[in-house]
This record gives sequence, structure tokens and C-alpha cells, in this order.
Amino acid sequence: MTCDHLSRVFALYVVFCALRAASIVQAARDFEKKVSILMKEDSENPKCYAEGRKDFTCFWVEDEERAGSVDQYSFTYTYQNENSSRCPLRAVPAAGGKRLFICHLNRTQMFVQMDIQVRREGILIHNRSLLIELVFLLDPPANVTVSSTGKQGQLNVSWVPPPLKYMDDSMMYEVSYAMADSHVGQVEVARASSELILRGLQPGTKYKVRVRVKLDGISYNGYWSAWSDPVFIETLPAEFDPLIMSLTLIISFILIVLSLTMLLSHRRFLTKKIWPTIPTPDSKFQGLFTVYGGDFEEWLGQTNGGLWLTPALFYSEECPSPLEVLSELSLCPSLPSPTLPPKISRSLIADRKKDEDVKKGLDEREPAERGNSALMEGWRATTHDHWLMDRLRALHQHPVPCSQSSLLESQDTYVTLSGNNHVEDEHLDDILEEALPLEVLFASRKTMLCESHSDLGSVQQSSGSGRLSSQSSFEYPNHVWMPKGPGYTYMAVADSGVSMDYSPMSRADDIGKVVIYANDYKNEIPAHRRPFLPRQHPVHDDG
Amino acid sequence: MGNRRTYGPNREDPVKGYADTAMEFPRLLALLLIVLEWTRPGLPTPLRPICDLRVLDHFIKEARDAEVAMKSCREGCSLSDSVTVPQTTVDFDVWEKKNALEQAQEVQSGLWLLQQALSLLRTSVTNTAMHSHIDNSIRNLLSINAVLRSLNIQEYTPPASTAGLEGTWRVSSATDLLQVHVNFLRGKVRLLLLDAQACQQDVS
Repeated sequence: MTCDHLSRVFALYVVFCALRAASIVQAARDFEKKVSILMKEDSENPKCYAEGRKDFTCFWVEDEERAGSVDQYSFTYTYQNENSSRCPLRAVPAAGGKRLFICHLNRTQMFVQMDIQVRREGILIHNRSLLIELVFLLDPPANVTVSSTGKQGQLNVSWVPPPLKYMDDSMMYEVSYAMADSHVGQVEVARASSELILRGLQPGTKYKVRVRVKLDGISYNGYWSAWSDPVFIETLPAEFDPLIMSLTLIISFILIVLSLTMLLSHRRFLTKKIWPTIPTPDSKFQGLFTVYGGDFEEWLGQTNGGLWLTPALFYSEECPSPLEVLSELSLCPSLPSPTLPPKISRSLIADRKKDEDVKKGLDEREPAERGNSALMEGWRATTHDHWLMDRLRALHQHPVPCSQSSLLESQDTYVTLSGNNHVEDEHLDDILEEALPLEVLFASRKTMLCESHSDLGSVQQSSGSGRLSSQSSFEYPNHVWMPKGPGYTYMAVADSGVSMDYSPMSRADDIGKVVIYANDYKNEIPAHRRPFLPRQHPVHDDG
Repeated sequence: MGNRRTYGPNREDPVKGYADTAMEFPRLLALLLIVLEWTRPGLPTPLRPICDLRVLDHFIKEARDAEVAMKSCREGCSLSDSVTVPQTTVDFDVWEKKNALEQAQEVQSGLWLLQQALSLLRTSVTNTAMHSHIDNSIRNLLSINAVLRSLNIQEYTPPASTAGLEGTWRVSSATDLLQVHVNFLRGKVRLLLLDAQACQQDVS
């Protein structure tokens, strides 16, 4: 029985001692904190502070080597109009080889001046005069709790003020909050209250909150206390704000409606831009592709009457020059100058880019196309036409049909004068006839010993393909469509991209519809190049 | 219609009609009630207690400004004679042991003494800049008296002479006087207002 009792008592004693030790350790730590604060804040010696209504502590620091024993020092304080008193000192070792001399008072008088004198062996080393209520250094606020207010980006901070009677309404608090990973934080001040709501915080982030306290300086004054232990808390996650969502939906809906309206109103323009109409000659050849599958002979045989309609159009619209392209000229690879076509095509490309240049080129060519002699002169005038002359001469000498489809680059077209074996006086008629897109061609074709079936470059040799596309006009036939008679002059005119647009119309699609025939066997110019060429360039036939 | 007076054939004496006679009684009654209301014996409406200490804080700030100004004053800022001022010392243990009446008495006597001292200072000081400060301080002391009155603290009857009063000091310099003035306001006056019963009842 007594053993149990004793053991219980012993246990209690041990616990009590432990608690005391803990509290002493804590107090010592607090004291160290305050000492460090005052070392920074207080410039006078001795450094003094009041912790409460009655406690008052003063201390000063001396180096270990120079410090004497505690007995050598005397701490004397005198209130106004009163006798002086002495304060018992104690020495405490401090970090960095220093010694702390501390004086502690348990009863103080406030609102009255206090004179302090520190003497070492009778010699005054420190002197100070202060009012105790103006040097408060409190403990940091305890029980700092942070909670969510329930609203986005807000936190509610509350704490317990230091337990000082009469001074509750003189206290000023600073709440420091920062994101857990950043060092830069913000500070909010609260006066005479024990809670504060932080606003404007980011949702879903962790925050570190600390509080410190100071007396406001009107009736009492002091230094800022140490920061309380930080409290970590996470704010509410970002909420789905229905207002913002609905606004976003409405605005996007309005934008969609507007864009659709815009698109629909400019439907035609956009369609033209994105899907440009590639002209096809289907409309001119009724039934050629649909019924006869591109077989031209059959179609011609069947629809003779219909074909006459279309040439009539051309008769009214254009006066084809006798110098118009009648055939493509494909030259043998043995001919010496294969490089010039690229030059021409290059120049063509260059021309393409600048209308002026094209016009210049046209100007150069135009006189050539006007008349035989003029053409010859014109061609002679141009440097690259010399080459053509040479080639023609070569052709005269070696009228060998080349099996190669094209030595010339696709942009080259050759205008041959009187490219068939008709008599010269019938030249004009023939030329006129040749102006007829297809009939003339096939007529001449029949008369020709040429084996070419599709001298019209644009008409595909393989009748399987049902498209009369002027782009294919650059497929040079396998055979040379050579006029047989030696008597007439050949003028291979390299027409680098002249649009033989005889119609006065200027629209690209009209060009496509109209010139397609002209280009088919005159100038093999692809449709897409046509816009770059001067359209208003009727080439008149002077005959 | 009640006031219509029918005139008799002679047109000399207005003949009071029956209606006029009937109105006599209500008129008298109304008059009686009004008079009684005026003379109703009743307490004067009590002053609302001024419990907000910001008023006093304002006075304290102004007293501090006066003290600072006096410290920097070189000429014409001296007290001609030594004055009696209240002690400003506050020992919380001692203060709490006193009851409300004693505290009030101490504060009110101190205020009275300060008023006397400041009036003397006003006449002694020749610096015009200080005059405004001192006048302000005297006005503030009177306002504090009004605040105390609003807290149901009874009036203070000043003693016949200031000599031998307890809890007083004698100061002879203007700066000391103003320092005492500030410390007194910050200390005892504030503690009294904090602890005032009237304000406690409001809070609770």
C-alpha cells in the first residue's frame, strides 16, 4: 500500500518536475527571443522592457573577458520624486562569448518617470531615463487559429490577445500571410480586435499565417512582439462560378452567330476563294463527256449541228490572227538549245509577277503576231526568239517527229504561221478556220499526214479523260504537227504566256470559257495563269 | 360653425350660441393638459455616457503635442511660480485596491489641480505659439470633466487651498507641468474611464 502510494507520489513529482522544466525551457527560449529583438530595436543601455502590468526586465551585454562578477555591478532605479532603489542582478552566459546581466522587477509604477543607473564598482557605466508603460514587449498572441469563412479566397484568422487588463483596446495586431512556398507575404493590421478576415486570396493554395502584437502608442507603447508560430492552411478550391460560365456561353454563342452570319453573307465570295471554279468545257461540248465518254469522233459525228453553234460565238468575238498557235511544237532532244525554254519560262514567271513586264512581253510579241513580217521582225527583236528561229531552221532541216512529249517547258507555246499544207492564198481562210476550235483542227488533222490525234494540246490524247483542261495543253503531242509544204514560212513563236484573249471581257471565268478554245490550240496556257496576264489584250488580226 | 356669433337685432352684443358654450370645456381641458405637461415633475434626461475612449485618446495626442512644443520652446516659455500637480504614478496593485469612488475623487482633484496650473502657465507664457496649445489643453480638461459627468461621476468640490493636499507634487518648470499633464491623462484618467460603471453596464 505504501509502496503504491509512494510510487504514485514519485510519479507525480517526476511529472511535475518535467512540466516545470518544460516551462522553464520555454521561458528561457522566450527570453532569448526577446533579448534578440531588443538587441535590434533598442539602442540604449541597459535595454529594458515590460512584459505585463507588473513585470519589468532590464539587461545589458558585456564581453566575457571584460565582464566582472555580478557583485561588481549595481543597478539603481529612481522614480520621480521618490527615493532610489536597487535591483538584484544575475548573470547569464550568452551566445558569442558574451554575458548578460539581468535585472528583474516584480512591481512597477507606470506613468511616471524612472531613472536607471548602472554602476560598476562605483563608476557609472550606463544611464537611462524612461517611462515603463512605453517599453512594452509582449509575448506573441497565442492560439492562432485560421479557418475558412466559406467564401472563395477568404480566411478567418483569430487569436487570443495577451492577457493584460486595461490594455486590450490599446493593442495593435499585424497578421502576415504568404503562400506556403513564397517568401514574400502581405501584412494586414487589426486594431483592438482578436480576429481578422483575409480577403483576396488565391483559391486552392496553401497559406502560412502568423500574428504579432504591439501596443498602439497612444497611452501605452512598446516594440513589436515576436511572430507567433505559423499556421498552415489551404484555401477552398476554385469554384465553378455559374455566372462566369453562363456569360462565357452567351458570348461564345453570340460570336458563333455573328461569324455564321458573316460567312453566309459572304458565301459566294468565300466559295470562290476556297474552291475556285475550274472551268471545264463541258458546257460547250454538250454530251461529249456524259454520253460519249470523251470520244470526240463519235461526238462529232453525232452532234454536227450543235458544234456549229459554238464556232459562231467565236466568230463574233474574236478575229483570230493568222499567227495564232496552230500546233504545239515539240522539238527533238537533239536540238541544241534545250535550256532556253526554261529561260523563257523563267521570264514568263517573272512576267507573271509583274503585269508591266508581261505587257512588255506582250508588246514584244504583239507586233510579231500582227503580221508575218511584223512577227518576224518582232521575233527578231527579241533575243530569245533568235533561238526559236534557229530551231525552226533546224526543224526545216530535220522535220523528225519526236516521240518525246516535251522538251519545251510547259509554258512554251509555239505559234506557227500557216501551219498546214494549204495554199498560201487560202492562208487566211485557213487561219480563220483554224480559229475554229475543234473543227478546223480536225479538218486540218484529216488533211495532215500527221499522225497526231490530239494536236489540240488541251484535248487529251486519251479520250478517256473527259476534261478539256487547258492545263493539259502543255502536253505536247508525240508527233510534230508539221505542215507539209516547204513553201510557207514557219514562225515558231514562243508565246510565253500571252493570253490570247480575244474577247473584250475581263472576267477570269469568262476568259476561261471563251479563250479555252483559243488556248487549246493556240496558246497552251493553263487556266491558273490567265489572271496574271493582261486580259484586255485583244490581238487583232491585221491579216 | 361653433364660433359663429349670431348677432342680435341690436348688433351690439354678440350673442353666444349654443355651440360656443359647448366648446368651452374642451378648450380648458386642452390648456390644462398642456400646462401640466410642461410642469410635469421629472428628472432631466440623463446624459448619454461617453464610453468611447477615442475622445480621451484625442486629448492625449493634443497634450503630447503641447509637451513636444514646449520642449522645443526657447523663450518665453517658463512658469512663473511653482504649482501643485497631481501625482501620476499608477501602481496597478494599489489602484485596483481603491474603490470607484476613491478613484473618481483622485482623478477629479487631479483635473482641477491641472486646470489651475495650466491657467497659471497661460499667464506666464509669452510665446504666442504656446498659447494655442495651452488653451487647447485647458479646453480639453473641461471636456474631460463633462465626460466624467456623463458617466455619473459626481461633481468635485474643490478644496479651499491646495496646500497640503495628498497625492500631489510641486513642479516649477513648464515642461514638467506639461509632462505631468500628459501622464495624468494617459494613466489615471484613462483607467477611470475604462473602469467606469456606466460603460460596463452598456457593454454587458
